[in-house]
Amino acid sequence: MKENATRSGINLSPVYGPSDGNGDYSRRFGNPGEYPFTRGTRAYSGRGWIQRELSGEGDPKRSNEQFKYLMTLGQTGLDVIGDSPTMSLMDPDHPLARYTVGTQGVSLCRHDDYRQLLDGIPLDQMSISSSGPSMFTVASLYLLAKERGVSPGVLRGSVIEWPFYSEHCSYAYKMPFDLHLRMSCDVIEFCSKEMPRFHGFLEDTYFFSEAGLNAVEEAALGFVEIRHIVRALLARGLDIDSFAPRIAILTNCSMDFYEEIAKIRAMRRIFARMMKEEFGAKDPRSQAVNIAVHTSGLSLTTEQPANNIVRGAVQTVALGLAGVTALEISTFDEGYRTPSKEAHLVGLRTQQVIDLETNINSVQDPFGGSWFMESLTDEVEARILDMVNEIESLGDPAELVSSGYFKQFFHGTMGRYHRQVHDGEVLKVGMNVHQMPAEQDTLLRDISEEKIEPLFDRVEEISAYRDKRDQRPLLDSLQRLHDVVQTDENMLEAVLECTLAGATMGEIAGILRQAWGTPYDPYGFLESPIGSTQ
Amino acid sequence: MSPIRVLVGVLGMDQHELGAVGIARMLRDQGMEVIYTGCFNTPETIVQAAMQEDADVIGISSHSWEYLYYTPELLELLKQNDLDVPVVLGGSVITEEDAGKMLDKGVAAVFGSGSAMTDMIDTVRNLAAGAATS
Repeated sequence: MKENATRSGINLSPVYGPSDGNGDYSRRFGNPGEYPFTRGTRAYSGRGWIQRELSGEGDPKRSNEQFKYLMTLGQTGLDVIGDSPTMSLMDPDHPLARYTVGTQGVSLCRHDDYRQLLDGIPLDQMSISSSGPSMFTVASLYLLAKERGVSPGVLRGSVIEWPFYSEHCSYAYKMPFDLHLRMSCDVIEFCSKEMPRFHGFLEDTYFFSEAGLNAVEEAALGFVEIRHIVRALLARGLDIDSFAPRIAILTNCSMDFYEEIAKIRAMRRIFARMMKEEFGAKDPRSQAVNIAVHTSGLSLTTEQPANNIVRGAVQTVALGLAGVTALEISTFDEGYRTPSKEAHLVGLRTQQVIDLETNINSVQDPFGGSWFMESLTDEVEARILDMVNEIESLGDPAELVSSGYFKQFFHGTMGRYHRQVHDGEVLKVGMNVHQMPAEQDTLLRDISEEKIEPLFDRVEEISAYRDKRDQRPLLDSLQRLHDVVQTDENMLEAVLECTLAGATMGEIAGILRQAWGTPYDPYGFLESPIGSTQ
Repeated sequence: MSPIRVLVGVLGMDQHELGAVGIARMLRDQGMEVIYTGCFNTPETIVQAAMQEDADVIGISSHSWEYLYYTPELLELLKQNDLDVPVVLGGSVITEEDAGKMLDKGVAAVFGSGSAMTDMIDTVRNLAAGAATS
């Protein structure tokens, strides 16, 4: 980081005064709950944010116990992550999945898994935010609500849509971009009709910003994706106000305290203006975007894990001041694993202490009108918009995905971050400054290093499950899905049918690929249950 | 003298690429030839690429415990193919205890989080020199 500059390279003056950050109040800020929502999407509520911690490990039953433990600690929403195979549309018995089943999230691949996962969880009361593949999460949540006599219309929570960047950062679907985009649009359209309180379109800028992006780059790439998906939905003939209220954003929060607050304020304003002025949204709910945050895993270190508790707390204070809707803290053991029981406790208690003891929620947007913060918000906003324009001026963003532009971009930011940390340009206490010898670095180390064993039993269980199913209705449903993919029909109904017939997520994803003329199994190990259709 | 050829890749379903990309860039900056194989490798694909590309050193980056299973398989497969290429492991997820276990199994070097760049570069150079003379 340059001296006296933000992580995105915005130069800071040592002192700000009345000539900075001036402007027309109602045009640029508005009161909280008023356009352009710079100061927050709601008028003062004093309620604070939804508190949750990333959860999911092992099989669905073990994860269900984890959820219940978190609820006894006072968690007010669920945040669920699948293991790497689940996140990548792969069943646990796939040869590549074997050593990582249930180790970095929960293993989910069939409807019965969701029944176990959410057993005893009040679907009508708990907001369920899932990082799992959206189409399958929505299908199972919808079916589960119906089975339990709960109207899908009251379900709250979110699923992530990431057609642009998932192939290059974290979780690859190994699908053509157009197919992934179609899945996203089908889910959003389905949710806006059938689950109107649920966010079927969460723009997750967190996961790709962990590729070493700064705040401006993170927000700009997020808006490029939002804008493309919005245009695709409008091209279907949908009314902007039918789906825009269900768009939400999940961002990262680095250690650059002021810039992160400015980023969130700027993103609310950009979203509001874009929806109103560019896409013609009339419903104020279409213009006011809820922003939730996952604090930065990349900012954490495996050295001196206790320092990570401080990092999580500082980021949480920033987010409380920025007025976010929900948050989860990346916990102290993040460098090694998904959160342990102890880390969950510390993460949630950190949020609760800040929420309940500091009076942080007594005032909405406390930075509003600050010469410095308004000036920084303006600058961050201008740079985000410049970058969005720059990327869109290169051509159709979808073409940029296919041509590898973003992949190249992420490789650049990864290399840059790696160098910044090695050179000490980004300081990390305990890692590149104030280090200590390994034998002294013992605080919380035993907990952090404790491993989660892969679930070899679950591999066997799912493998055996395949032959136990009634094959005729299963194959019929998969064939029907294959046919639907080749029409313009929304795929969700066919996916629901496959799910009820016992199809696994890996099978359904494979059929989608196959119907699109690409290999059923992109890794070349498996054959399609409905045979060759070419 | 021809430049040192280093194969860098990630195994299994581990999709955290930042370390691998960073190391690849760092080695390239040192004038080495890096064959970057990205994610979703198996011991088989790594060995195949190492043979085709005539690699002097294999570098595996890890942010998942999968390496604990794949690394011994990789070492065994190299032996079966009479391929005497040293394997270097890197990644912040590797604990000191596990590093010891991997070294016992025949890994040439392990680098955890915060390892000095110069150490990593020197180690790769020395290993490549050793492999060339053996």
